[in-house]
Amino acid sequence: MQFLAPLFFAALAGLAIPVLLHLTQREKKQIVRFPSLMFVRRIPYQSVRRRKIQHWLLLMVRMAALAMIILAFARPLLDSGTIPTGGANAREVVILVDTSYSMGFGDRWTQAQVAARDQIAQLTASDRGSVVLFGSGADIQLRSTAERSRLQATVDSATPSPSSTRFSPALKVAGSILAESTLPKREVVIISDFQRSGWRGEEGAKLPQGTTLTPVPVQGASDKPNLSVTGVTFARSAFSDQQRIVVTAGITNRTEQPVKGSSITLEVGGLTVGTKPIAVEGGSSTSVAFDPFTVSGKNMRASVKLADDALAADNTFNFVVSPIEPVHITVVDRGSAASALYLTRVLSIGTTPKFEAVFRQGDALSDEDLRKSAVIVLNDVEVDAPLARRLARYVEQGGGLFVAAGPRARWPQDVDALPATIGPPVDRTRGDAARVGALEYGHPVFEPFRAPRSGDFSSIPVYGYRNLTAAQGSQVLARFDAGTPAVLERNLGRGHVMVWGSTLDVSWSDLPTKPVFLPFIHQTVRHLAGYTEPEPWLTVGQVLNTSAVAARGPAAQRVVLTPSGRRLPLDDEGTDVLELTEQGFYEIRGDANQSDGIVAANVDPAEADLTPMDPREITAAAVGGDDGSAGPQAGVPLTPEAKEKNQRLWWYLLVAGILLLGADTLLSNRMAKA
Amino acid sequence: MARETHAVPGAQFMDPAVLARIGNLELISRAVADGFINGLHKAPYFGASVDFAEHRGYVPGDDVRRMDWKLWARTDRYYIKEYEAETNMNFSVLLDVSKSMDYGSRGITKFEYARILTACLTNLVHHQRDRVGFVAFDDEVVEYVPPSAKHMETVLHVLDRLKPGRPGNLKKPLHKLAEHFGRRGVVVIVSDFYEEPEAILDAVSPLRFRGQDLIAFHVLDPTELEFGFSDAQPFEDLESGEQMPVVPEAFREEYRSLVTAHIDALTRSFAGVRVDYTMLDISKPLDFALYRYLGSRAKMMKVR
Repeated sequence: MQFLAPLFFAALAGLAIPVLLHLTQREKKQIVRFPSLMFVRRIPYQSVRRRKIQHWLLLMVRMAALAMIILAFARPLLDSGTIPTGGANAREVVILVDTSYSMGFGDRWTQAQVAARDQIAQLTASDRGSVVLFGSGADIQLRSTAERSRLQATVDSATPSPSSTRFSPALKVAGSILAESTLPKREVVIISDFQRSGWRGEEGAKLPQGTTLTPVPVQGASDKPNLSVTGVTFARSAFSDQQRIVVTAGITNRTEQPVKGSSITLEVGGLTVGTKPIAVEGGSSTSVAFDPFTVSGKNMRASVKLADDALAADNTFNFVVSPIEPVHITVVDRGSAASALYLTRVLSIGTTPKFEAVFRQGDALSDEDLRKSAVIVLNDVEVDAPLARRLARYVEQGGGLFVAAGPRARWPQDVDALPATIGPPVDRTRGDAARVGALEYGHPVFEPFRAPRSGDFSSIPVYGYRNLTAAQGSQVLARFDAGTPAVLERNLGRGHVMVWGSTLDVSWSDLPTKPVFLPFIHQTVRHLAGYTEPEPWLTVGQVLNTSAVAARGPAAQRVVLTPSGRRLPLDDEGTDVLELTEQGFYEIRGDANQSDGIVAANVDPAEADLTPMDPREITAAAVGGDDGSAGPQAGVPLTPEAKEKNQRLWWYLLVAGILLLGADTLLSNRMAKA
Repeated sequence: MARETHAVPGAQFMDPAVLARIGNLELISRAVADGFINGLHKAPYFGASVDFAEHRGYVPGDDVRRMDWKLWARTDRYYIKEYEAETNMNFSVLLDVSKSMDYGSRGITKFEYARILTACLTNLVHHQRDRVGFVAFDDEVVEYVPPSAKHMETVLHVLDRLKPGRPGNLKKPLHKLAEHFGRRGVVVIVSDFYEEPEAILDAVSPLRFRGQDLIAFHVLDPTELEFGFSDAQPFEDLESGEQMPVVPEAFREEYRSLVTAHIDALTRSFAGVRVDYTMLDISKPLDFALYRYLGSRAKMMKVR
């Protein structure tokens, strides 16, 4: 119990007042000196005693009334709406059971269940238990209950999940359960195989003060070896207009015993396309390259599978393969070979993605070109108003526009689409040439140049540029040394427009001859085309953004089919993300039940490393050196109603005090009459 | 009866409280005793001196001077004349000066009352040519004036100096005194008798058995009789200092009955050993006590 106004307790000194009154009243009464109390003494003592008790009663009533009123003014505050139940030895026990897939190794899971049942069996009638299953996250299965049968059933029905181990979320969850508990003793039991990979030690998972943390390590051994597929790499090649992929799988032997005579299989679209024998020494890794296969369609399901061993979950590695779509670019220029030379060369290089560029003169740009192109490059050309309007519309519909503002570049004033107004040329052929600096490294275009020695724009001399004035709503990504914007971007509708203040040939700058030119152009085109490399697989525990996988249609109409066959409709609250909890292929289906995309989910290969740690490390970090902030109720903010309810005690105390005063009046009156 | 003698001229004895304000005991005692004597000049028993009582036969050893020669002449036998009373008897007052006597609620304490009473009795007896003695005691003998015809002044002087101070106890001093009083006489005990009747009887018995005529005056303040307190107050025992919370309303009846029982018990006990016992309310004039004394003397003479 706490008090909002504990200063009022100083008034407890006032309790002396009735005592003093009683005493002083007694003092004031003159002592009658009487010759002998011989006869008085003989009068039965009982009558004297009764009188005395009545006085004491009066005194007690007065003191109690005063104490009640003082207590009321001190505003007692109950710490909790519930009175602590159970005896002084009642325990709040949180049983954390590791359900990461490594618990499937050997008989570890059986041992873990036995250990959990033992802990539940030790609970007494006054104890309360919680069962938390944890992997990379923690899930409270049963919270603070005294029903042992339900706790048992929860443990019995649990199975290892494909997630990896992380201790700190589980400890935080346990801490929150314990913080709300009113029982005097608090215990946390961790049943786990205590893998080193599950604890980074820095995560600040602190249990409330006075908590006992008991680690129960399960170390199931197995005579079988444990191989795991750690990942796959792809090597793409083009073969007569078809893409072929060579899959190379990495295999690690996590045990000390060598593996010989086993095999690894590659399945694509449900069919086995290759099997390779493997031989791995104990504690080492190897890689196996399969024969190339043709990627015949989009979103083909592929898996690399090992034969069964001690830990099954890490034997299969799933991924999705698709042929890479080229990015179509239309370059509008004057038709001179020299001006487009460098741009042509740059766009012909690259496989992920492949760039397919067509060159058009300004008036020859057809609607078909616009429809097919992901990016339009205006290479120092004059744009008339109709073309400008078409281009603006094109951008608003999701296209990308890149404008190289050389000496001939012109954009009609009345079409507001560019991020900058193109001003007069600036000649820097005399004196020092201009340099490009103040790059916005946070932008995707310049992000690859962020690290040191990753390309130096400031060494590129620029002899001439157009004086750009940034328009409303545009972002300056780079500036010339005089402060004039060099690269600007503006979002227009669903697309982007970028302007480079100089040329893409060597007439005004040395940029095309510098190493940064190729990545600069590639990044710019990728960014403007909105190109993202499809992820061949994700890891269990990651969050899947379905809208990134399937671009068509609103999220409300999509359904996700999980590997276990469940249908998860994505709700219409705008949530289009989903945490991957199963190993296998997630299929996203749009309206008319057609497949929009497939995502492969794999277990975290780090979890396959069964190297144990010393559980005392966790105990020391979670229990030792409490900062005192995690007292009972520390993490539980009370609602105003609950606060008010907890403070309401003062009212009752005040009423009790007043009633006592009334009783005092009655009592003293009656005594006076007697 | 003697109690109804207020109408007797000169016998309007002053209120004890007024008397107490007069410091001179001699003056008081004389005033009281003179008035008393004057008013009682016809009393048939007073002044009895060398009255003939009877003749008895001479036995060898008798004083020949007491031989009745006239009777020998008539009868030719030797007779000795015997007389009625001892004219010069010993008269002693034993005054209790214990602390409990120092109490009074009506302007005079029991001690002062007893002192005046003693002075008056002494004066009275002195005028009868008897020998007066005086003893003051609490739990010891405090003052002792042996009986003598010349000791009245001494007695008054000692009385004047006395102050009650210590707790009292009858037995020890009275037993001691019993050994001192060799000669038979009249012994007056003035006390508040705050002891059990058996203990009091035990204390006075030796005196009585040695042939002393005992007169006991039990002096009590009216408050001690009535217990007329109203407020609940702590009471302190004057002698022991013990304090007790007392609610007079609740105590009064029981107290009165206990006091009455005590007085009754004393009356019975003293009567049993032929001690003349008188309870004196100190708010009442002294004449009552004096009459009582003389009355008892008369009774004794009759009995004898």
